[in-house]
Amino acid sequence: MFDILLQSTGWSLFIGRFHPLLVHLPIGFLLIAALLETGRRTNKVNVNALTITFILLCSAIGASLACIAGYLLSLGGGYDAVLLDRHKWQGIGVAVFAWIAWFVTHDKFQKKIPFGSKIYLGTFGMAVVLTMTAGHDGGSLTHGEGFLSQYTPEPFRTLAGMPPVKVPLEEIKPIENIEQALVYQDIVQPILEMRCVQCHNASKSKGDLRLDDMAFILKGGENGPAFVAGNSAESDLVKRCLLDENDDQHMPPKGKPQLSNEQVALLSWWIEQGAPVGKKVSELKKSDAVKPALASLTAGGATNQEKAPVSPVLSLKVDQADDKKIDVLRKAGLLVNPLSQDLNLLEVSAVNAKGFDDLQVPLLTNLSGQIVLLKLGGTKITDASLKEIAKLKYLTKLYLDRTAISDAGLASLKSMQYLEYLNLIDTKVTDNGLKSIAAMKTMRSVYVWKSNVTDSTVNQLSKSNPRLVISNGISESAVAQFLQIAKSTDQDSTKAR
Amino acid sequence: MENLLKELQYAKLEHQTRRHFLQSCGFGLGALGLGSLMGSCSASSTEPNASDKSVQSGIPQFAPKAKRVIYIHMAGAPSQLELFDYKPELLKYHGKDCPAEFLEGKKFAFIQGVPKMLGPQGAFKQHGQSGAWISDYLPHLQKVADEISFFKAVHTDQFNHAPAQLLMHTGSPRLGRPSLGAWTVYGLGSENQNLPGFMVLASGGRQPDAGKSVYGSGFLPSVYQGVQCRTGGDPVLYVSDPSGMNRNMRKTTIEAINQINQQTYEDVKDPEILTRISQYEMAFRMQMSVPEVMDVSKEPQFILDMYGVKPGDGTFAMNCLLARKLVENDVRFVQLFDWGWDGHGTSEQDNVEGGLRKKCEATDKPIAALIQDLKMRGLLEDTLVIWGAEFGRTPMQENRNGLVMPYMGRDHHLEAFTMWMAGGGVKKGVTHGETDELGYYGVKGRVHVHDIQATILHLMGFDHEKFTYPFQGRNFRLTDTEGKVVKEVLA
Repeated sequence: MFDILLQSTGWSLFIGRFHPLLVHLPIGFLLIAALLETGRRTNKVNVNALTITFILLCSAIGASLACIAGYLLSLGGGYDAVLLDRHKWQGIGVAVFAWIAWFVTHDKFQKKIPFGSKIYLGTFGMAVVLTMTAGHDGGSLTHGEGFLSQYTPEPFRTLAGMPPVKVPLEEIKPIENIEQALVYQDIVQPILEMRCVQCHNASKSKGDLRLDDMAFILKGGENGPAFVAGNSAESDLVKRCLLDENDDQHMPPKGKPQLSNEQVALLSWWIEQGAPVGKKVSELKKSDAVKPALASLTAGGATNQEKAPVSPVLSLKVDQADDKKIDVLRKAGLLVNPLSQDLNLLEVSAVNAKGFDDLQVPLLTNLSGQIVLLKLGGTKITDASLKEIAKLKYLTKLYLDRTAISDAGLASLKSMQYLEYLNLIDTKVTDNGLKSIAAMKTMRSVYVWKSNVTDSTVNQLSKSNPRLVISNGISESAVAQFLQIAKSTDQDSTKAR
Repeated sequence: MENLLKELQYAKLEHQTRRHFLQSCGFGLGALGLGSLMGSCSASSTEPNASDKSVQSGIPQFAPKAKRVIYIHMAGAPSQLELFDYKPELLKYHGKDCPAEFLEGKKFAFIQGVPKMLGPQGAFKQHGQSGAWISDYLPHLQKVADEISFFKAVHTDQFNHAPAQLLMHTGSPRLGRPSLGAWTVYGLGSENQNLPGFMVLASGGRQPDAGKSVYGSGFLPSVYQGVQCRTGGDPVLYVSDPSGMNRNMRKTTIEAINQINQQTYEDVKDPEILTRISQYEMAFRMQMSVPEVMDVSKEPQFILDMYGVKPGDGTFAMNCLLARKLVENDVRFVQLFDWGWDGHGTSEQDNVEGGLRKKCEATDKPIAALIQDLKMRGLLEDTLVIWGAEFGRTPMQENRNGLVMPYMGRDHHLEAFTMWMAGGGVKKGVTHGETDELGYYGVKGRVHVHDIQATILHLMGFDHEKFTYPFQGRNFRLTDTEGKVVKEVLA
């Protein structure tokens, strides 16, 4: 009766939400009481037994208040029933044992209970132990099970017999054959997995809704069904994603990673098509809106334009470079910078060391496992250096502009696995050298302005290899053409007078 | 007595040398010194050292797509409705009263009462494979349309030049925050030891309205502030040694000054003294490097023609060429300002017809040339070029004081304007965002100034929410508490 009244007025949740605050009182009190008791018994501190009794009273009161608030909070719902039950009884246990421990040591009652001193330590100990277990379960209730140990590092993880770290799905893996993909299993479920399941799962089901399996999605939550098959506009699953981010009803909540436009389009398309399980993409009718979204799921297929390819080197695990080896390069005047804080790859530039020459080049191979970009523009290196440079196995960008490099040197680069960018501006390289470079499968852009390369070869190579950009700069005639302004002859253009 | 006099003379000479140096550094270098002086007022000695920051200065958080930036700011704000945002519907309303819903509860810098709508003055056509709308005001930019991605619905909070420029460059309309360039150099470090990492070139006869704060370092150590160079004549005034002072003498002078500064630093531990020391050293190196990098006489004639510059003319075109030379020499951030875009319709220069056309004629070719030039040198792949102003211009004709203006002009507009980016990590030929039929509000892909800033930082390898600097008890970031990366334009 009482809680119905409370619930209907909102008081229950108001008081209930003080639970996380109140629980810390008995935890603190009990622990300090236990410490003092230990200290007293080992004669480490001079403390009156009355003091401890008083702290026990505070603990008992605090624990009782926390129990009441906790009960009211649980009425709000959305918690794992088993875990909640365990937490509840442990919490009540703390309060009960704290009361007993206080009772048997209190002046007035002490003498009336003959066995009081015998059970004192037992009950006190139980209260402390239950505080720990109840606290842990409480943490699991709010943050989800496994919160505490989620980031256990190796080797403790293996020692404790825990499975390897499960990284939450960050990005849906590209689908190779989109027509043959299963709409629910391969597209919808991964999206939910990535953006929704964190709060809507077995142990934490906010709004009584679980989205980790089709059976639960169909069941819906406390606000009704998650979707109306065939009508995405009336489906909460889509509607809530489209609400203003500041709206209370918006999902995922503000601050959490949001669904992309494509992902919302995919969800609503699936619902529009009747939310089938086990159907392939090819079996459903595709709306115009979903086509680009589906395309975005394929490998390399971005929204309306091709994504720039990312070098595979960036996803390799590379060992950290030895600081001493880096220092050697820095002493030679080279600039050595990490590519970024999350990678061990290095960029090396001779911008401040124009005197860098063939004799110093072998220094670079000490970091052959880390150097990803090398700028040697304007230095004194010659063809002899390129054999050494070819040993930099992860090199993706190489600047050799304004050096004495020629075709002979370039031959050494052919074996490089990841080289994508080569700057040969103002060198002696000829058509033959360029041809050997263009044959490298990883190569994306080559710059050959002011070298001995001819336009006809550039055109021919560009045609036969459309992925490769070869730039031979701009000639005087091209500039003349650029300077001419096309006469505006179009009819449709208009202006106000 | 004689000894005493001699000593006095020595002391006087000593002082003179030092003062002379500061004085002779005049404009650009003097500003550095002044900056560090003023900076030291705000940076208390309890402020943690740059090296203890949670953000490791000099290393991006993730692999950056853009390593260098050229930011072209058209101070005064050109009209997007004449250049990029094609609104045929607005033409139909030309000369008609502005609808009441555009005016209710709105404040404008000058518009009063009910203004008339002003149809687009440019002749528009789609260009390139991307079909970008560019008007005949910018015939050369049309040719590089496919390199560019447009933001058609940028909006801001400020309708006056100075605060809007501050918001655009420092993330706040008030003084005291570091500028985008300062954040960049703080985050990515400086590569060429002989040149400042952040350099500023201004044209158009006036400095930006918000003054040096638009390229200042705010609460960051002042070593990160932008260094302005002149574009005509000596790039830095008195950069060459005066007669009677040779390079060795200059060197020993600076070494002596730095020794004294180093001692002072050891006494008081003010990190700004370290800034001062490094600036003296930088100034010394710049005496050699700056005249070299600013010298365009070795550029081939057809390159000069492409930009449309004559050596030493100090125009915007020259600044574009210099910007290329600076990024070629690994300067991290080059900021260009060009003044004279405030087309209210008040004079022959300030309007959206002839006046705007003249400004476009002076800037269109060099900007297009810059993009081509960066591209053929293999620099555009990791150099981000940004074009924009502090706000846009209204679809209504300005009616200052309720009168008809002598020329066609538009007032400051903060609801929607166009910016563009090209190069490092940006998609090619994409148009993001759309305004309504009259070009008043953004209706699709609306982005705020803070979103633009978040996107720029993202391209340079920084999460704008985690790229912070502790100052006066809290972590500050460029985007303050706002900003969302515009993922649609990321390549």
